[in-house]
Amino acid sequence: MRTRALKVLLVEDNAGDARLLREMFTTERPGSIELTHLMRMSEALAHLAKGGVDIVLLDMGLPDGHGLDTVRRARAVAPDIPLIVLTGLDDEALAAEAMKEGAQDYLIKGQIENRALPRALRHAIERHRMQAETDHIRMSQLQFKDEFLSHVSHELRSPLTAIYQFVTILQDGLAGEVNLEQHQHLEIVLRNVKQLRAMINDLLEVTSLQAGKLLIRLQRTSASDAIAYAVDTLQGSARDKGITLDFEIEGRLPDVWADPTRIRQILIILVDNAIKFTPSHGTIKVKGRRLEAGSGVVVIEVADSGCGISAEKTELIFERLFQVSDPAMAARKGLGLGLYICKELVSRQGGKIWATSVPGEGSTFSITVPVFSLPNLLAPAFRKDNYGEIQITLVLTELGSRSGWLSDKVRAEYSYWMRDALQGCLNSKLDVLLPKMGSSEASELFFVAAVTDEIGGEAITKRIREKLHRSDEILQADLTFSTCYWTLAPVQRNADESMESFVEKVAAKIQESIDERNSSRMVKI
Amino acid sequence: MSNKKILIVEDDADVRMGLHVRLKANNYEIFFAVDGFSSLTEARKHEPDLILLDLGLPAGDGFVVMDRIKAVPALAMIPIIVLSGRAGAANRERALKAGAKAFLEKPVDNAELLAVIRQALGETVKRERPLVHDLGTL
Repeated sequence: MRTRALKVLLVEDNAGDARLLREMFTTERPGSIELTHLMRMSEALAHLAKGGVDIVLLDMGLPDGHGLDTVRRARAVAPDIPLIVLTGLDDEALAAEAMKEGAQDYLIKGQIENRALPRALRHAIERHRMQAETDHIRMSQLQFKDEFLSHVSHELRSPLTAIYQFVTILQDGLAGEVNLEQHQHLEIVLRNVKQLRAMINDLLEVTSLQAGKLLIRLQRTSASDAIAYAVDTLQGSARDKGITLDFEIEGRLPDVWADPTRIRQILIILVDNAIKFTPSHGTIKVKGRRLEAGSGVVVIEVADSGCGISAEKTELIFERLFQVSDPAMAARKGLGLGLYICKELVSRQGGKIWATSVPGEGSTFSITVPVFSLPNLLAPAFRKDNYGEIQITLVLTELGSRSGWLSDKVRAEYSYWMRDALQGCLNSKLDVLLPKMGSSEASELFFVAAVTDEIGGEAITKRIREKLHRSDEILQADLTFSTCYWTLAPVQRNADESMESFVEKVAAKIQESIDERNSSRMVKI
Repeated sequence: MSNKKILIVEDDADVRMGLHVRLKANNYEIFFAVDGFSSLTEARKHEPDLILLDLGLPAGDGFVVMDRIKAVPALAMIPIIVLSGRAGAANRERALKAGAKAFLEKPVDNAELLAVIRQALGETVKRERPLVHDLGTL
């Protein structure tokens, strides 16, 4: 059987080294190796991008590429092509690093035996192939597991629904009188239905967490409301167990940047756990406070007077499937996924979670949530996948209007603050905006409107959008704005002015601003 | 009180029966469809005041059913409540976007189901004897 020629790309700027390597291939059967020799990283990358290469022999010291960077760049262009690095005698440590970056092997120049080179190439290719195969199998197994769990969880819901329905039908006497003992037995069935349902929900949650399918919608939201909601929701279960459950908010808690549903979910898991591990007549307190004055973080604590956790377990409890071994405490069963879900949800919203505890006295679970800030709000508009979709971004900021609306001094401070906030966005990982702003082809408009009011900004944004939508001028034009952003001069709301008229005023200002910039262009919202 | 007509579209016979008993006890008149295909026929035949719709159905899933019903002028205004084992925000959003009045996850507790139905029917919520068992919010 005749095998096709092995296509080798040699990237080496030293002519002597290249000649030596080339000679090593001459012992091979003619036509079995097809060698391409390039001297520059840039040429190599262009060649790799075209495809058709079986293996790369890469020198790590090129005129236009050095060290690990060469490996990374080559891997970025051709992640699926095996790569062997060529190094000098002193660079073995570097070569080892290169293998961490994805190189299959390294060869030390001057120490390569004649016949070993072709063999090294074939082995590298084979290793690479096996690695790829293992990865593929692993991926499909993981995917199967996710699909399986998701499917099973869904399918479990129907029978569970039927059980719930008929137990409650019996309990409510819809099918005839039940005596006290029967009623109690049905109560036990119902309790187990609830547990089963909680487990199925946990299972689904973990599946979507791991499959990266969990939706987290970050927005400006009230941490105080979430705390009150969780406490309110579980007040009944606490009361049933004779536990005092309440909350305490320190000062005026700033709004946070989080998914309101998820924050409630986290707090409900934590409070529910606290109830589980707190004996009757115990207390549970949920506290919200700012980490430090002016810090960008809100801390929410759930403190109980329960059995506590030993020090070595305060980290373990956040692991998947961790369960309390004390049988007395395991009265309410679960899958051991609650705290794991909490940890994942908290960290995906940019926060941290930890526990402190004194065994016998109680535990405190704390989470942090980022405080809402302008960069948070602007970030999505700058995100690459949104980029190009968003023709106009209305960004609303709120400044407390209690002090009466802005004096010149405040106004100056405000514009600095706005600039800093924007820079905060631009300097972070989301550096896609700056290059785009310099480009003449960009067709997006970023718009920053500053509005001051205590009452929710969302309503105002909505109204402004609606208003702009109705504007024929805007809808009929057929061009888009070139990229720019500017700050709208703050619009004053008089003390006796209605929200309605205030919104009108802001919208008019925006319209004016748009007209000023370009009367014949269009803004899509 | 009520006597409004509810069409239950559900392929699981036990769940269908359970819903039937519960809703009948609350004075609703109940009709059934067991798949996507028959749901439209039954809806035309009975012109219900409300449709309780499962998503995972044979012969046209719940989303297809919603599209078909919304396309028939005589039926388009009937409020639809989705009751499904397919949980998740994505399904919820899709269902609401397709025109569902509410999205409930199985197993839904009786209080919530009845409240949502009454609301969709525009009935005032009256406190009666507690025929309900709270399953908790999570």
